Amino acid sequence: MAESPPQTAFAEEALSHLDTLYRGALRLTRDPDAAQDLVQEAYLRALRYQHSYQPGTNMKAWLFAIMRNLFWDRFKGSRKEDVSLDDVGEFVLYDKLRDEGARPEADVLDKLAASEVVAAVEKLPPLHREVVLLVDVEGFSYKDAAETLGVPIGTVMSRLHRARQQLQKSLYDYAVESGIVRGNGTKEVPNQ
Amino acid sequence: MNCSDCKDKLDRYLDRELSNTEMLELQLHLEGCPPCAENYEFQAGLKRLVKVCCEQDKAPEAFREKLRQILT
Ligand SMILES: [Zn+2]
Repeated sequence: MAESPPQTAFAEEALSHLDTLYRGALRLTRDPDAAQDLVQEAYLRALRYQHSYQPGTNMKAWLFAIMRNLFWDRFKGSRKEDVSLDDVGEFVLYDKLRDEGARPEADVLDKLAASEVVAAVEKLPPLHREVVLLVDVEGFSYKDAAETLGVPIGTVMSRLHRARQQLQKSLYDYAVESGIVRGNGTKEVPNQ
Repeated sequence: MNCSDCKDKLDRYLDRELSNTEMLELQLHLEGCPPCAENYEFQAGLKRLVKVCCEQDKAPEAFREKLRQILT
């Protein structure tokens, strides 16, 4: 099938952002097969709406927005209940670890397994998870993240702050459970 | 700048979202305040860790090929 060169060039440029889209979809769906379905549908939609992309603007953000909008369309049923994050208060893992006599960076960060960090990210409600993916993993500016998600910059900032708090709390709980640090008032968990 | 201002602006400092002047003010505070500096190092370490751990996932090669077939 002979496609016109512009379409091929567009597809090639779009495919250069595949890892970002796939990672994002994988974290959002938490399932490799569902992630591939989602990404494939996003690319087909992108091709169909190619004319609405303005050349020279941020294609990665444009594609990510298509992918996450598709995700949210499918997710709609649970939109309300699953997406809000309970206020964990100002949980500062660093302070907590200091209080417990640990060296936060050497004793804790260096000992966390990659799989646990990913698990903590995936435990975030999706509205918060997607901000972490954009800003922390993909390096988006607040402005680009806000445009991608269709929310004001202030919302990006507050979701990001909440997400980081929650992330630290999850990782702290994991560190206590796995015996990396001793939790306040709990018995030390013996290493198996 | 005091420690409380520093805490308020730490996310934006980490994400390089402050103006040049504010970045500099915060940097000066961190240089003179070990507790804030250590907290910053920790938060920066956490941000790096999240990036590194999540970036390990790449699209499978077979999937990339399949998409290329479909799209081009
Ligand atoms: Zn300080």
